[in-house]
Amino acid sequence: MPVKKRGMKKSVSFSDDETLTRVRQSNDKKHNASPDGPPVYVKKTVHTVPLHLVGLLYYFIKLSDSYDCVTLLYLLVPLQIAYLALQFNRNTVYGHKVLKLRLSLVPISLGAALILTIPCMLIIILLGAPIAMLLQKTWLLAAHCCFLGLPAVYSVFNCNFKVGIFKKYFVAIAVGCWISCVVIPLDWDRDWQEWPTPLVVGAYLGAFVGYTVGPYI
Amino acid sequence: MIKRLFPLLLLQLVAILIFSAGFFPQKSVLTGDAEFRYHPEEHLVVNPKFEKLVVVVIDALRSDYLFHGPMSHFNFAHELLNKGHAWGYTAYSNPPTVTLPRLKGITTGSTPNFLDAILNVAGDDSSSTLKDQDSWLRQFHINQKTIKFFGDDTWLKLFPEEFFSEIDGTNSFFVSDFEEVDLNVTRHLPAQLASQQSWDVMILHYLGLDHIGHKGGAYSKFMPPKHREMDSVIKQIYDSVEDNTLVCVMGDHGMNDMGNHGGSSAGETSAGMMLMSKMLGNYEKPVSQQLEKLPIETKNEDYKYLTKINQIDIVPTIAALFNFPIPKNSIGVIIPDALRLFSPQEAHLKLMDNYYQLASISGDEPMEALTDNVMVEKMTSIQSELAKTATNYNYTLLGIGFLLLLVTSLAVSIVCYRSTNLCFALLPLFMVSSLLSLSTFGSSFVEEEHQLWWWISIALLGASYVKALQDINSHLTVLICLRFIRGWNNSGQKYVYEHTMLELLKEHFHWQWALNAITIFATQIHGRRGSTFSNVAGILISGICIFYKAAWSIVNGEQIPFWLQITCLKIAKVFPSTGDSLGDLKGMLVPMARLFFWCATGLAVFDVLLHRFSRNDKRFLDRIHATATTILIFQSSSANIPLFLVFQILSSQLESLWHRYHGSNVFLLMTVGLALQHLTFFQFGSTNSIATVNLTNAYNGVSENYNIYVVGLLMCVGNFAPSIYWSLSCLKMIYSKQHDSKWGTFNKSRLPSLLFYCVFGCFLFGSCVVQRYHLFIWSVFSPKLCYYVSWNLFMNTLIAWLIEGVLVLLL
Repeated sequence: MPVKKRGMKKSVSFSDDETLTRVRQSNDKKHNASPDGPPVYVKKTVHTVPLHLVGLLYYFIKLSDSYDCVTLLYLLVPLQIAYLALQFNRNTVYGHKVLKLRLSLVPISLGAALILTIPCMLIIILLGAPIAMLLQKTWLLAAHCCFLGLPAVYSVFNCNFKVGIFKKYFVAIAVGCWISCVVIPLDWDRDWQEWPTPLVVGAYLGAFVGYTVGPYI
Repeated sequence: MIKRLFPLLLLQLVAILIFSAGFFPQKSVLTGDAEFRYHPEEHLVVNPKFEKLVVVVIDALRSDYLFHGPMSHFNFAHELLNKGHAWGYTAYSNPPTVTLPRLKGITTGSTPNFLDAILNVAGDDSSSTLKDQDSWLRQFHINQKTIKFFGDDTWLKLFPEEFFSEIDGTNSFFVSDFEEVDLNVTRHLPAQLASQQSWDVMILHYLGLDHIGHKGGAYSKFMPPKHREMDSVIKQIYDSVEDNTLVCVMGDHGMNDMGNHGGSSAGETSAGMMLMSKMLGNYEKPVSQQLEKLPIETKNEDYKYLTKINQIDIVPTIAALFNFPIPKNSIGVIIPDALRLFSPQEAHLKLMDNYYQLASISGDEPMEALTDNVMVEKMTSIQSELAKTATNYNYTLLGIGFLLLLVTSLAVSIVCYRSTNLCFALLPLFMVSSLLSLSTFGSSFVEEEHQLWWWISIALLGASYVKALQDINSHLTVLICLRFIRGWNNSGQKYVYEHTMLELLKEHFHWQWALNAITIFATQIHGRRGSTFSNVAGILISGICIFYKAAWSIVNGEQIPFWLQITCLKIAKVFPSTGDSLGDLKGMLVPMARLFFWCATGLAVFDVLLHRFSRNDKRFLDRIHATATTILIFQSSSANIPLFLVFQILSSQLESLWHRYHGSNVFLLMTVGLALQHLTFFQFGSTNSIATVNLTNAYNGVSENYNIYVVGLLMCVGNFAPSIYWSLSCLKMIYSKQHDSKWGTFNKSRLPSLLFYCVFGCFLFGSCVVQRYHLFIWSVFSPKLCYYVSWNLFMNTLIAWLIEGVLVLLL
C-alpha cells in the first residue's frame, strides 16, 4: 500500500484562492514588498535545523518497543511547540521584523492541526491506504504528519493565511512519506515494514529535510 | 520517421524472441524404461509389500487442512494417524504449483519444466504428454496391472488411454461448481470397492476443494463441509479395502490464503500427504508423529506439520513398496519410514538401488559401503542439487538476444532524443522507465508490481497538481477515480484486503447489475451521440452484451437481480424451447456470443463506411472506441464491468487536464497512458504470476471443437481488456484535435512505449540471467518474462501498432 501523503493540501481551503495565486505569482520575489502586506520569509540560517526530530527518530527506531507511534506522538507535540517557540518563530521574518510568539495562537494552531488530521487521513486513504482495516493507525500517521507541520500551521495563521509561502514544508513531509513507501512491498517480513512505521519515519525525515533546506528554496 | 521506427520495433521483437528461445528450452528427458540398478537379480526375489494401490489426489489440499486442529475437519483421518494406521507428511511441491506440472512430478518424480505451467493454461496440447516418459503408472502398466482412473481429466492429457482400463474424466473448466465435480468421482466408488479384483491401481482426483479455494479463499465457509465429504470418502475406501492395499491421500499442491496457487509461498508449496493401510499399524509410527497428537493445535506459519518430505519422494517409495524399478527421470529419495516394512537386507538393497539411480542422473560415481543414514543424507543433497540445475540455458541465444535488445534500445533512445530535443516531457518517461527497470532485480517488486504503478500514478498526479494548483476539483476527481480502481480487486501476493469493491458488489448484486447496465449503455450512448441511426445500433449491441453477461451468470449460478433474470428467461422463451429453461439458456450462450461478435464487427465496418463517405466526420474514433469498449466489457468478468464507467470519467477528466495545463504534449499523455495501462491491468485482478491468467471469458462463443488461436486471442483480450481501453483512449485523445501530420503524430505517440519496453526489457533480461539460479526463477522471474513477451507481442505490436495503425490509416 504505497501511500503518497500530501497531507495538508486541504489547509488551502482555509484561505481564499485569490491570495494564494497572488502569493504564487510573487513567489520568486517574495523578499520584496508585495501589494497585500509585508513580505514573510524564513531566514537562511542553521538555527532552523530541527534537531529534535533526529532525537525522536532515534528514540522511535532504537529505543521504543515495537515502534510505538502513540508515545512518539506525545513526545512530538511539546517538542514541536518548543521548536516553534525557540527556533522556527525566531527566524521567521514578518515584514522586516521578527514577531514574538503569540501565545494565544499556539492553542489555536494546535487545535487546527488536530482538526486537520481528519482531512489528512482522508487524503492518505485516497492515496492508497486501506479503508476499513488499520484505520486507527492511519489516523496516527495523519496526526504525526499534521503535528510535524505545526510550525508551518502556526506561521500560516500568523501571517494571515499566506499558504503559498509555507507550502514547501507540507510538500516535504508528503514527499518523505511517498518515498518511504518503497519498502512496503518487500517480502522481508520485518516488523518495521508494518503499517504505518515506514511512513512515519519517512514523514520525520521529510520534515527534517524540509525545515533544514526550506528557507533556501 | 515511420521508416526508421518500424524496423526498430521488429528488431526489438526478434531480440525478445531469441532471448526467450534461449531461456525456455525444453528440458532433456531420458526416454526408455527403468531397470533395477543395483544387483537386479536380488530385487526379483523381494516380495512386494502391497498388492493394490489407491491414490486419492485432493486438489490444493494444503498440509494444515489435514493436520492443523482449527482448520482440519478430517476427523477419521486424525483417528487413523493417532492409531498409526496412517502416516502423515507435509510434502514440499516444487513450484510452479499448478496441477499439470505437479502431476508430472508426482508420477515421474522429476522437477517440472516451466513450459508445463503455461501448457497447463493452454489446455489441449499434446507436447506435455508422458506417453514415452517413465512413470509409476507406466511401470504398473508394463507389469500388466489394471489401472482405473476417475477425476480431473488433466491425467488423461498426460497419459495415453491404453494405460487405463476404465476412465471417467471431469473437467475443471467451471470453477464455480463445488459439488458436481466431486460427486462425479465418488459415484464410481461403491461399484469399484465391491469388485476389487477388477483393478490393481485406482486413481481418484477431486477438484472441489481447489474450486472452493479459487472462489472463496482458504478460509471459505464451504471448506469444512468439503473436508468432511473428503473424509467420508477416505473412510469409505479405507473400510472396504484389504490389508495389502496402500491408500495414498495427497494434495497436488497447496494454496495461499487467497486460494490461489502457482507461486512459491509456503502455503502453495506445502501439500498434505498421508499413507494409509491397516498393515502400517504393525510398524512403528514416524518419529514426529509419535510425539504429536492429531489434530495439531499449534499453528505453524510455514505450514510444516509432522515430517517434511519432498512430494516427488512418493515415486521411489511406491516403486520400492510394489517392487518395480524406480522411474528413470525420478530424483525422489525413498521415504525412510517406508523402509521399516522391509527386512534390513531388503531395505539396504532398495536404498542402494535408489542411490545408484540418483547417481546415474547426476553423473556421479556411486560410492560403495555407506551406512544407510549417510546414504539418505547423500541422496538428499544430490536431489537438491539436481532440482536446482533442472534446465540448461542456451547462452549463445541469451547473449544474442540481450545484445540485440541493447542495440535497439540505444537506437530508440537516439530517435527519442532527436524528436523531442530533450524537452521536459521526457523526464516522467525517463523516471518511470528507470524505476520499473530497477525493480526487476527484486523478486518482491516483481510480485507487487501493481504497487509500483500505483506509486507512479499518484506521483504523476501530484506533479500535475503542483503545476496547476488552482484546479483542485479535477485533480480530486482523478484521485477518487484512481482510488476506486485500486480498491476494486486484490493484486499481488502479499496483501489481501477483505472489502474490495469486487467483494462488495458481489454481495450487493442489485447494485452490481444496475451499474453494469449503466456502464454498458452509457458507453455506447456517450460514444455515439449525434447520429440517430448509429445510436440505435449502439443500444442494440449493448442489449445483446448485457443479455449475454446476465445469461452467463445465471447458467454459472451467480446471483443476479430478479428483474434481470425474468427478462433473460422471457427472451429465451421466444426461441424454440425444450421446456428446461436453464438448459435452453445454456444452449443459447454460444450462438448468442457469436451473434454479438458478428454485430460488433458489422458495426465497426459500418462506422468505417460512414466515415469514408461523409465529409468532416470528427467522431469516427469516438464511435470505434465505443464499439471496442463494448467488446472489452463483453470479455471482462461481470463484477469488473463498472470499472469501465470509472475509466470513462477518468479519461474525460484527464483529457481536459491535459489540454488545459499540459500543452497537449503527446509524450506526456503516452507516459500517463502507459502507467494507466499497467495499473488497470493489475487492478483488474491480474498479477505477474501465471496462476491469475483468467480463462473464464476465453471460451465465449467457442463450441466443443474449438480453434486454439481463437481461444488464445479471446484470452488475451479478456486479460488485457483495461489496457486495451487505455491504449485506444489515448489514441482518441491525441487525434481529438487537428494535427499537422497524422503519421508524424502517430510515430511520436508510439515512441514512449517502445522506449519503455526496450529499456525495461534490457534490465529484465539482465535480471533473469543474473538470477538464473535464484530460488524464485521459475515462480517469479520466468512468469514475468512471459508477461513481458505478451505485453510486447499483444499490447505493443498487435494493439498499439497494427490495430491503431489501421485506425489512423482510415482516419
